[in-house]
Amino acid sequence: MQTTSLPTARTSPSRRFWNKRKLLQHTVSYFFLVLFALIMVVPFLWTLSTSLKGQDEAIYSMPPKFIPQNFTLENFATVWNSLPIPLYIWNSLILSFFGVVLPLLFCSLAAFPLARMNFKGKQLVFLTIVATMMIPGEVTMIPVYLILNKLGLLGTFAGIILPGAVSAFGIFLMRQAFVGIPKEIEESAIIDGASVWRIWASILLPMVRPMLATLAILSFIGAWNNFLWPYLILEDDSQYPLTLGLYKLKGTFVTNTRLIAAGSILALLPILIVFVAFQNYFIKGAYSGAVKG
Amino acid sequence: MYKSVHAWAFLAPAGLFLLVFSLGPAVAALILSFTSYNIFEPTEFVGFNNYMEVLKDSDFWRAMFNTFYYWILVTPALVVLPVFLAVLVNQALIGVKLFRLVFYFPALVSVVVTAFLWGWMFNSEGVLNYFLSIIGVEPVKWLTSKYVVMPSLAIVTVWQGLGYYMLFYLAGLQSVPEDLYEAAELDGAGFWRKHISITFPMLRPVIFFVAVVSTMSAFKEFTLMLTMVEGGPLGASTTVVYLVFDEAFKQLNMGYASAVSFLLFAVILALTLLNKRSLDRE
Repeated sequence: MQTTSLPTARTSPSRRFWNKRKLLQHTVSYFFLVLFALIMVVPFLWTLSTSLKGQDEAIYSMPPKFIPQNFTLENFATVWNSLPIPLYIWNSLILSFFGVVLPLLFCSLAAFPLARMNFKGKQLVFLTIVATMMIPGEVTMIPVYLILNKLGLLGTFAGIILPGAVSAFGIFLMRQAFVGIPKEIEESAIIDGASVWRIWASILLPMVRPMLATLAILSFIGAWNNFLWPYLILEDDSQYPLTLGLYKLKGTFVTNTRLIAAGSILALLPILIVFVAFQNYFIKGAYSGAVKG
Repeated sequence: MYKSVHAWAFLAPAGLFLLVFSLGPAVAALILSFTSYNIFEPTEFVGFNNYMEVLKDSDFWRAMFNTFYYWILVTPALVVLPVFLAVLVNQALIGVKLFRLVFYFPALVSVVVTAFLWGWMFNSEGVLNYFLSIIGVEPVKWLTSKYVVMPSLAIVTVWQGLGYYMLFYLAGLQSVPEDLYEAAELDGAGFWRKHISITFPMLRPVIFFVAVVSTMSAFKEFTLMLTMVEGGPLGASTTVVYLVFDEAFKQLNMGYASAVSFLLFAVILALTLLNKRSLDRE
């Protein structure tokens, strides 16, 4: 995209031409970049400013006020102290913990033979897993609910965790990572007499750490944001994760928008922190997603 | 050097989960769609009855219409606009990485929080109506008018998807060989000329990918409709999957709902194949 400098002989007229052209291009680019960035952030800014507004300050006004007049943290204090938000956050953390650890474990276990072993039926297993990626969760929603019912898992955390414990996509991602490791590395370990489990755990797994991190982050976002399954199967409100809890709070007895805004900010914070800290893994995850298609 | 018993041991836990929570349920959904399963009465095999009922049901056709409407509002925007964004953030400009992050972030926000954020934007005295008032447009009933609700939901979906699909295009752009652009520039091609002659042809596989993925997700969307407007007003945002959800978990007609979901699955499959064929023919 970038132009390296043009031949020097004709520099002065064409240089000036190019600079002018580049300047125009850059100005137009920044105009659109800033415009789209504003469209992206305005809903967040409005929510943040609402969460910081005092009780006596109007939420809606013409024009909207993005900077609170009476800046206050009392909404956050109220949300934290008098609503069950800390409990909801705790539930979200438990669900997210299992929502990350189980896929990491099971997907990297299953990916190992698919990437590094030869066995009868391997092709069939792999094709089945790829086909499974194509099944929309919306089609299996009803039977999964009925299975959870049969297993007595409705109303339990296990009922949310187990259906999401393995994803075909996760297996696929981990397999791609394992395939890239040179053969010599395990061969020498086998000669040294290491067991299969040792090879998996202490030689191969450390080598696919970046992909494990990608899978962990994608799983975390999915688990933290999970709404549908908690909504379908949880009944006791002491079990609600933050997403479902906020949804029910807004629908039932919290009419104060400032409090819901503060709760939304609390729900966004972990995502924002993880995103900023591990931004490169997100991009990598998105690209691996492209392979999926 | 490995025994096949090892292979199966490693595969077993994941295999069991996929079998119980994915493959099995897919088969079960197909079987359910031929039964009268509804929790209250004894289940009977009813052949194609559910499908016949569904095809006669005006609610189903309205939901089908809503789904197609939503798809037409969402997918073209999500195929075209992110190309523009990707070209913007693929330039060597100061701060361009930050812009990438800002554009992508909405994709990570849960549907519940998204529904809150945009519910406030769409408020009758909200930010959007304020901007409209500047240019002299009357306040719009974004979520309470049955004519406007779908475009409003589409705005939210596009807002959330722009940065997500931008990343795919960005990956595509970065795989375009630099010297193609350099050669074009030496030939005197300007900004637009370069992109029309080089970028778009090179991006064609990505365009197809984005079209398929955004089509599938448009046809499956219903949590946004649930959290923002509960399928309303007056069913104007009841999509097919929303209908499945409603029939299965509110009316408890699970056999019927399974038939609806399989019909939708068939539509998605047909559209994907059509999309692929039209792209192949070009």
